[in-house]
Amino acid sequence: MNMFSPDILPGIRKDLLAGVVVALALIPEAIAFSIIAGVDPKVGLYASFCIAAVTAFLGARPGMISAATGAMALLMVTLVRDHGLQYLLATTVLTGGLQILAGWLRLGFLMRFVSRSVITGFVNALAILIFMAQLPELIGASWEVYAMVAAGLGIIYLFPLLTKSVPSPLVAIVLLTGTTLILDLDIRTVGDLGQLPDSLPMFLLPSVPLNWETLSIIFPVAATLAVVGLLESMMTASIVDDLTDSPSNKNRECVGQGVANIVSGFMGGMAGCAMIGQSVINIKSGGRGRLSTLAAGVFLLLLVVFAGEWVAKIPMPSLVAVMIMVSIGTFNWASIRNLREHPKSSSAVMIATVIVVVATHDLARGVLAGVLLSGFFFAHRVGTMLHIGWRSEDEGRLRSYQVVGQVFFASTDRFINSFDFKEVIEKVRIDVSRAHFWDLTAVGALDKVVLKFRREGTDVEIIGLNRASATIIDRFALHDKPDALEQPAGH
Amino acid sequence: MNKNNKVLACVDQSQFADHVADYASWAARRMEAPLELLHILDQPQEAAPENDHSGTIGIDAQETLLTELVNQDETWSRAARERGRIFLNRLRNRAMDAGVELPDVRLRKGALEEILVQQEKEVSLFVLGRRGESADTTKRDLGRNVEGVVRALRKSILTVTEGFREPRRVMLAFDGGLVTRKGVDMLAANPLFQGLPVHLLMSGKQSQDGHRQLARAKEKLEAAEMEVTTSLIPGDTESIIARTVRDRDIDLLIMGAYGHSPLRSLFFGSKTSDLLRSATIPTLLLR
Repeated sequence: MNMFSPDILPGIRKDLLAGVVVALALIPEAIAFSIIAGVDPKVGLYASFCIAAVTAFLGARPGMISAATGAMALLMVTLVRDHGLQYLLATTVLTGGLQILAGWLRLGFLMRFVSRSVITGFVNALAILIFMAQLPELIGASWEVYAMVAAGLGIIYLFPLLTKSVPSPLVAIVLLTGTTLILDLDIRTVGDLGQLPDSLPMFLLPSVPLNWETLSIIFPVAATLAVVGLLESMMTASIVDDLTDSPSNKNRECVGQGVANIVSGFMGGMAGCAMIGQSVINIKSGGRGRLSTLAAGVFLLLLVVFAGEWVAKIPMPSLVAVMIMVSIGTFNWASIRNLREHPKSSSAVMIATVIVVVATHDLARGVLAGVLLSGFFFAHRVGTMLHIGWRSEDEGRLRSYQVVGQVFFASTDRFINSFDFKEVIEKVRIDVSRAHFWDLTAVGALDKVVLKFRREGTDVEIIGLNRASATIIDRFALHDKPDALEQPAGH
Repeated sequence: MNKNNKVLACVDQSQFADHVADYASWAARRMEAPLELLHILDQPQEAAPENDHSGTIGIDAQETLLTELVNQDETWSRAARERGRIFLNRLRNRAMDAGVELPDVRLRKGALEEILVQQEKEVSLFVLGRRGESADTTKRDLGRNVEGVVRALRKSILTVTEGFREPRRVMLAFDGGLVTRKGVDMLAANPLFQGLPVHLLMSGKQSQDGHRQLARAKEKLEAAEMEVTTSLIPGDTESIIARTVRDRDIDLLIMGAYGHSPLRSLFFGSKTSDLLRSATIPTLLLR
């Protein structure tokens, strides 16, 4: 009951209108992404309908648009080329299963480890990939193609100055299609690229042999698809959360995305996920509820099935123009302006994410690289939070060391090097009561320090070890006691 | 003053708010309990930019949109806060005129049900309009929030309709069940009903020990020095209650509420909702 009552009733008109606007931008995307993946446009169009319709009901984020996406399409290229469409459909179903599993295991919390810089890098990489996917249409093309893309972009960005009541991408597509037909230009059209849907999608079992070999082919792809799909969906969900100032349940979103992909796979569609650009368009057009997502999917299917003849006549350059707009709108331009002001480590994480993605065409690897790098930077930063002071006591017979800060794998060298082992002295006192020993490397380093001093014939006394080593979380499970949090505040 | 027994009146900006405040003041005065007036600001449902269907996203689309939406919400929030404050102050003065000492007001955002459940610990009586702001447009007999709120709460709820008349005669729709038996104890103990004549009405299917149960309830109330009359009329509960209210000039009805599951009332309808729709007098719902 809750699924309908609060979200789907109000603002029906606005949701429907926004749905139409989104559907018009979804069609070129779905076609373009099918072409990237190497399948007929109808695979992407069916997928977009199924995913939008299912997430409208089962997703956790009203107002978010999910459909066939570029991020996912790029990961399917090799699979489709080597094994064909049926394996892609099976992979799509498996992807959905893995995503549902992720939702049940509540893996949404892992998003905590994806820092803001990684997210920015992901978004920028995505925009670059969408743009790069348009290049095959542009490189080595005739001047008419360039002229049409330029005209398309001009209409898309300038027409809203005239009126905002009509979607300008639609105007661009209609005008350019008309021009091509009237002038009888020899330009590639959507119809040249493969089959368009001529009927509503039907339930079909992917015809693949059910054995280990199949699984070993599809599992790696499905796992990557599941990760990338969830990453983009989680990011989009938090963007929509911010825009609409309302929360959403990330684990439920995982399950919703999973079911959507399973349905898509059985209906002859490819895997998809949430789309940042389209969701922003939806919110901007006034879409807030689940109905906007559903409407986008349904309009898309109606338009394509019943106006398929006309859709086939759309010249590719007009779609390229729409995709360039999506790419420009998705890119985080502020991140370039901020490069100079933000900490170097953050910028490095962002740029590394972008480079890895663009080089591998795999958003999952880019995010992994970004997360690892931000982990390194963090460990390095915290490793410098170690201070060791010393003073001489008892008329030069005793040297007292005061250790303050974090001792763990990244700071043990610094820790060991702070002691003067060659000092000739009777006794050394090491006060570690204000230090944290986080791991075995740190404890080992302390042992090493004690041994070295003993070799020099120096007695060693350690103060406050119990308290310091109590932070070895794995053994004492202290991380949930308030004491463990309170201590760092003292430094 | 005991902090845990306040009377919480939920008001929205409709003509019913005055009557809710009046009944709440009456209850607070009789129970010598603090009164709090709670008004919940609804988030605007359609805070979307005005008619932008261009579908274009350019440089910094997301940031620009976020700034725009934040500015809109900010303007709305400030205006709504000021409106809400003025509205609540008016009701506060009304309650003070009705003799309540220092009524408290609170303006909140969020979902009504959730907020009331949060507050429940400190509340002894909720007062709530049976219809609300959208009553004129939707022509609903029972406000959309009422059933949900009543089901969510575990304390007594006084639901009121239009018009205020200080209750002089009280009737308890007694079914011998656990909830209404507890209701009898509550009647005997609660200063809200001290000195008011009470009528105990039993209806519905004839049960063999109905008379005995009625007599026991009457005894209990008379022990609390209340003036009690009883009647046992078999037949259709709803029409008998309506007739007795009219015949005996009752102006406050007490009854158990929503004893059955939401699923059951989806199929068979809810007696409570039916009674709340047909009864024109304020009704105290026992949970």
